[in-house]
Amino acid sequence: MPRSDFWSGLAVAAFGLLALFWMIPNYAGSNPFAQMPPGLVPSIGAWAMVICGVIIAAKGLIQMLREGAMPLSADLHWDAVGWAAWPFAYVAVAIWFMSFIKLTWFGAFLIGGMLFLLGERRWWMILGCSVVPVVLLYILSVYLMRVGVV
Amino acid sequence: MDFSAVGAAASEALTLASFIGIGGGVLLGYIVGVIPGLSRSVAISIAIPMTFYMSPFIAISFLIGLSKGTAAGSAVSAILLNAPGEASSAATALDGYPLAKQGKPKTALQIGLIASVMGDILATIILIFVAIPFARVALMFGPYEMAAILAFALVFIAGLSGGNIFKGLAAGGLGIFLGTIGLDNQTGLPRLTFGYTELMDGMPLIAVAIGTLALSEMFVQSEKLRYDRENMSVALKKDADDRITMPIFKRILPTILRGTGVGTFVGALPGLGPSVGSFMSYGMAQKAAKEPEKFGKGEPKGIAASESADNAVIPAALIPLFGLGIPGNVSAALLIGAFAIHGITVGPLLLRDNPELLYSIFAGMILASLIMLVLGWYGLMFFAQITRVPPHVVIPIVIFFCLAGMMLQGYGTFGLIILMAFALLGYLMKKYDYSFVTFLVAFIITPMLELNLRQSIILSRGNWEILLNRPIAMFFIACTVIALVALIIRTFKKEQAVANAPAD
Repeated sequence: MPRSDFWSGLAVAAFGLLALFWMIPNYAGSNPFAQMPPGLVPSIGAWAMVICGVIIAAKGLIQMLREGAMPLSADLHWDAVGWAAWPFAYVAVAIWFMSFIKLTWFGAFLIGGMLFLLGERRWWMILGCSVVPVVLLYILSVYLMRVGVV
Repeated sequence: MDFSAVGAAASEALTLASFIGIGGGVLLGYIVGVIPGLSRSVAISIAIPMTFYMSPFIAISFLIGLSKGTAAGSAVSAILLNAPGEASSAATALDGYPLAKQGKPKTALQIGLIASVMGDILATIILIFVAIPFARVALMFGPYEMAAILAFALVFIAGLSGGNIFKGLAAGGLGIFLGTIGLDNQTGLPRLTFGYTELMDGMPLIAVAIGTLALSEMFVQSEKLRYDRENMSVALKKDADDRITMPIFKRILPTILRGTGVGTFVGALPGLGPSVGSFMSYGMAQKAAKEPEKFGKGEPKGIAASESADNAVIPAALIPLFGLGIPGNVSAALLIGAFAIHGITVGPLLLRDNPELLYSIFAGMILASLIMLVLGWYGLMFFAQITRVPPHVVIPIVIFFCLAGMMLQGYGTFGLIILMAFALLGYLMKKYDYSFVTFLVAFIITPMLELNLRQSIILSRGNWEILLNRPIAMFFIACTVIALVALIIRTFKKEQAVANAPAD
């Protein structure tokens, strides 16, 4: 926990600093006649991130020093990381696919493939679970919302 | 009160279309609530795109019905599976599961259902009688008061919904920052859009909500699957003795009324949420009981206390929403988005500009409670079967509907990339214990906060002394500072206690 607090606090503070010193000055716009500059509210949010991120990181660091822990650990379980990461990769590939094919046309394969990867082996279960949602989406988009196949 | 508007609202709620819409919402909510791992906010965020073709009244009632259904449905899995569908039903499992294991699963489910429905109806009635006068008073508030109240609500939610005030405020800061993306209302110039025309209207709320709540939750669930695939469901059998009786009902009635009071109070305060309500009610019922040692071993009062408070929180959370336009929790925040999609500004202005809709929603809420009772009573066997659906089947289907929700709103590939980015953000927030509730509430209320802040600065011409003539604004500014200091001290004390605790 102290290690994750330290790194997450640093990340939050770093993003806040990036927002304060690059994003807001360059992209928030300006209006010399406005009584409230357009960058004021985003700056409040960014300052909140910087201040809180520094406090979280500092608390994590103090805790680590007390416990004699190192900021980095070599004790990484790569199979656990892989298991956590593959659904992201799977959905990212599906999104890439969706720039070519409509979701309705390959939705059944999307669901069925993930079901298989999650350990389902009963063919009737895979078939039913992958076809029914796609049919429901088709009815919703084509007949109820009348936006066509999505 | 405008009685002709009330009559029109009641007649609108009693049409066939309303029955189908609200009943569909409750049924869907019940099913979602029964499935462990699918939460209320996940269900609402996915369902919002499905309401585009509905009228505003049916859309909002559908979503409120969905919300109510999940609260009642989560008790089913808590009782039969010892795995609450919602965190707020964890207290129900403490006595519900032991009672089910003692051969009384139907009794436990019926106690949970009756407590849910009674808590829900009573809290809805309180909402009706409180929200309207509240909104009338709020209509007299100016931008100074609204800005101060919004700041107070944000600090309160940041401190209470996560536990660590600094993580809550950091998440709130990110929500504020991202909430300002889009065209600046005053200058009309793009702000923080980085040249992307798609961001001119701001970050798409549906992408933020579905990504942070639903898609990220599915990634978390799929990660958990690696470690936990057990399913210990208690089967529901036909047994004439296994049912709620009048003596049991009489015994639990005072507990239900107390639970409703606790749930209503907790729900009306921003940030606390149904989990706090149900555990607080459970604790109070245990303290008030003559035989507190029976709690945790299948005591019906334990189920009644938890479920009545859990369900009372939902209508009560709408008191600050309808009264002030402030969402007290994620579900209420999502409702603001749903209202906005239908072109309606929620808050005190709703009472002034659209009273018929407000009364219709109240009528729809009462109808949803009654439908919940009928569905829950006669559908117990069906819902008991749903508890057997394994989570690995649910995850791909929900992911599919997350992507479908984005496509239905017409965002295309850009929207899907934003969705994925927010799913990653939501996953990291959950993993590192940053309050995604505060993030989402801050993201949604930022435009309102900025508008009121801007109006205050323009009206006062930058002179802060004008606040001395605004006692309500001063009161809420003082409350914000006091809450901030108190929550910081609380966080430090809590961490000190954890650090000083002896290691096992």
